[in-house]
Amino acid sequence: MMIEFSAFALVLALCLSFAQFGLSGLGRWKRSLTLIGAGEGAALGAFVAVAVAFAGLMHAFIVSDFSVMNVAANSHTEKPLLYKIAGTWGSHEGSMLLWCLALTGFGAAIAGLGRDLPRGLKALVVMTQGILGSVFLAYTVFASNPFLRLTEIPVEGRSLNPLLQDPALAIHPPFLYAGYVGLSVVFSFAVAALIEGRVDAAWARWVRPWTLAAWSLLTIGIMLGAFWAYYELGWGGWWFWDPVENASFMPWLVASALLHSAIVTEKRAALPGWTVFLALAAFTFSMLGAFLVRSGVLTSVHAFAVDPKRGVLLLAILGLTAGSGFALFAWRAPRLAPGGLFAPISRESALVLNNILLAAATVTVLLGTLYPLIREAMTGDAISVGPPYFNLTFLPLMGALLILLPAGPLLAWKRGDAIGVGQRLMLAAGISMACGVLALILISPRKGIASAGLAVAAWLITGTLSELVTRVRLFRGSVAESWRRILAAPMGSWGMTLAHLGLGIFVLGACFETGWKVEAAETLALGQQLRVGAYELTLNKVETVEGANFDADRASLTAVRSGRVVCTPQPERRFYPAGRQTTSEVAICTIGLSHLYVVMGERRGTADAGVWLVRAYWNPLALLIFIGPLIMALGGLVSLSDRRLRLAAGRRAGAAK
Amino acid sequence: MIALWVMAGLLSVLAAGLVLFFSARAGRTSAAADPTLSVYQRQLGELDDLAARGLMNGEEQKAAYAEAARRLLKASENVAEPWSASSNHRQIVLVIAGLAALLALVVYQVTGRPGYSDQPMATRIQTWRGSDLSQLTAPQLAAVLQRETRLRPDPEGYRFLALAESQSNNPSAAIRATRKALALAPQRADLWELLGTNLVEQANGEVQADAVAAFQRTLELDPGAVVPRFHLARALAQSGDQAGAVRGLEALQASLSPNDPRRSALDRALSEARAKPGQQGESPLGPQAGMVRGMVQGLAARLKTNPDDPQGWVRLVRSYAVLGDTKARDAALADAKLRYRAQPDVLNQLDEASRTEPMQ
Repeated sequence: MMIEFSAFALVLALCLSFAQFGLSGLGRWKRSLTLIGAGEGAALGAFVAVAVAFAGLMHAFIVSDFSVMNVAANSHTEKPLLYKIAGTWGSHEGSMLLWCLALTGFGAAIAGLGRDLPRGLKALVVMTQGILGSVFLAYTVFASNPFLRLTEIPVEGRSLNPLLQDPALAIHPPFLYAGYVGLSVVFSFAVAALIEGRVDAAWARWVRPWTLAAWSLLTIGIMLGAFWAYYELGWGGWWFWDPVENASFMPWLVASALLHSAIVTEKRAALPGWTVFLALAAFTFSMLGAFLVRSGVLTSVHAFAVDPKRGVLLLAILGLTAGSGFALFAWRAPRLAPGGLFAPISRESALVLNNILLAAATVTVLLGTLYPLIREAMTGDAISVGPPYFNLTFLPLMGALLILLPAGPLLAWKRGDAIGVGQRLMLAAGISMACGVLALILISPRKGIASAGLAVAAWLITGTLSELVTRVRLFRGSVAESWRRILAAPMGSWGMTLAHLGLGIFVLGACFETGWKVEAAETLALGQQLRVGAYELTLNKVETVEGANFDADRASLTAVRSGRVVCTPQPERRFYPAGRQTTSEVAICTIGLSHLYVVMGERRGTADAGVWLVRAYWNPLALLIFIGPLIMALGGLVSLSDRRLRLAAGRRAGAAK
Repeated sequence: MIALWVMAGLLSVLAAGLVLFFSARAGRTSAAADPTLSVYQRQLGELDDLAARGLMNGEEQKAAYAEAARRLLKASENVAEPWSASSNHRQIVLVIAGLAALLALVVYQVTGRPGYSDQPMATRIQTWRGSDLSQLTAPQLAAVLQRETRLRPDPEGYRFLALAESQSNNPSAAIRATRKALALAPQRADLWELLGTNLVEQANGEVQADAVAAFQRTLELDPGAVVPRFHLARALAQSGDQAGAVRGLEALQASLSPNDPRRSALDRALSEARAKPGQQGESPLGPQAGMVRGMVQGLAARLKTNPDDPQGWVRLVRSYAVLGDTKARDAALADAKLRYRAQPDVLNQLDEASRTEPMQ
């Protein structure tokens, strides 16, 4: 009964989403409080119904109900509980349900939390969320229903792809989807503003918390995905410009641009059209990602293998929703009031330049992602666009952005003092150049580009700290004054400092790891050694171990440096009988901020005298690659706690009066 | 089924209730001032606050204040049409809330399976356990035994589970079950024999080192066991010791009674062993070996100058594997895997190629 009840709940959610957009739209048109209130109730009802459906599907996974096609295809009785739960969103159908849960959740949040929004604007936002909910729920109910039943029930399920049975990947999709779908609110705000014909500073302030929340969640989601790829796929990398990785990165880039352009719109009422355009584009890229992953056009470890018919439907949804949004933009944007003026040297100009670079970077990623698909569709020739393309196009753009970044927050609004900013950043520039030169001289092997990257990272970190020092007047005023300024600074400025510092830390880790990574591969018999960097690894033992739903060959190695044992990595090669799949379980020794990364390959040689292919990497400062984005996301959340951005701030302020 | 409709009805009522409640609540609220004004008023307050805390100098505050004040003034000039709460609209809400629930029922009738009950694994196992066990299929029996052995670990239960898993064409699960049985009863020769047999089954008939160890342990515990002697002789044949294999099988043949049903399999294995004399010192590729090696060297040289050829790498790895040159195969495999680390399909092909057996 639970399954069918959940199936009914999903259908009810669809009907409530229809009601949501109908009631809200009609309410806005008739200027009826009764109708727009009802639309908000329908938004909440749709969320409750999808939550019931989602809980029902999760329950089916937990109790291994293989009468549900989706459970039979993606679960197994022997699977640990965490991965049974994660199986709920491990398939195309389940992940669409998660998408709908997030979508209706954000719709309900707007209905419940947006009490200080103008009624007309709020009604149109709830209406647009209702339209998006209707479209995606209709797709889920009619083309991707997770509650389809089997008449011939198998005794066992086919289990989830072993690569997906991983703690990081269990929580990666919820964060990623919350980020993707969080941008739907921003899209809805843009549509509502275009219909209302009013994009002003107040609108930008209302949009900012939603953008910040979505951006922070997306940052965590992408970081978790990269971390999973790093330790689960066993090739020692964390980003390979895989089309599916790009699909999540493009909305992040656009959301980053939007965050900055919304600040200009909020502070100066400038760039209203551009900010609205970015708001539309951010969710469009989210939907493009959903299409790329699910349409079957991509071959990737991350992609869901689904039939092209669903892909066509998703493409139609993308065309319909994004097309309508941009058509509305083309019609209404010329009527938007132009904002405040600013000089070429000003904080606004810096943010505009930031936006141009981020937008150009997004376009290069988009081209690199779509070009192979378009070419294959037109000519039948399959090509792959990999790191060389992105290194030549994306990195220079980002390099320019990173060099500009520390100067932006130091410039004044309207008209900045370039010379003054230059003087304030002189020390940071000196330190970063010294870091680059020292890296070139001291670190072996000598690498020019990596050393330059290191200088950029140092520039970002020291430049951000310079801005902080300037802001709190450290060394310029008394300690008491600096302390007072530290306490008085708005959370938004702390958030910005953390986000920029996090970016610097990420760049530092990425440059170090990419530039000075060392790798080695050897076939080892027991007792033999492999040298990687300063470490000597000895293969001591290989034993068979039994996991919850897998059998594994587990190697025990000793890593020695200067005669001292620093760690004992235990990589595994796992065999999952349910899916008859083999995976490598990497062993990572964290030494300071660096990683000694060991992968066990296949057994070779005769049955009696086995040898194993062992690959090892020394990944210097690799931990920073993952800590950096976490600090960035933390910066977003700290900004979100700024009382100026709190969703109900106006209401509380009003009540206080 | 009734329970389903009751639950569906309750959920529909709850949803409709939310719609009506929010509608009624919104209808009761008074027409407040435009929130845009309060945002700009707050902005002005924030500017004062920042200036008071010393975070903004006087000039900056003055300019920003003037701008925010202009926005406030402009916003206050906007005269919005009033909002209303009419009773007609309440009727519309009621109709739409009812229609949504009704439409959901209709659509669910098309997309759902109202008569289907849940089938959680625990309930299915309970049903199978209560039924005639001889009527169950091997996978069903395995599921029942899995649950039983989890509740009451017992070597005999695990043995039956292993047999059921083996019959379900799931040798790895059979091996796991046998190992669990052996952990409880390590002195039982029949369990070691079963383990060896399952390992042979998993290796598609090949008697590998772990199976040999299991059979040797069986013979330590039960020197007269037939199955281990048979497989150990086959292991000799697979390692190229045909004479040893023939001797072992002949000895086994002599020990079996003339009516033993296992004789036919034994006779077959014996004639196969006799038909394959041992080959030593000769290249498996015969006189063409030199030519083949030359071609492989050519391919390796070509890939060195023009390495962007995934299929070339796959061919190279396979060629080294066929030639039995494991060192070169592993080196080529490592190079290629590094190069194509982000292309899972190529990595799979490389792994597949590296597993190619050498020419016999």
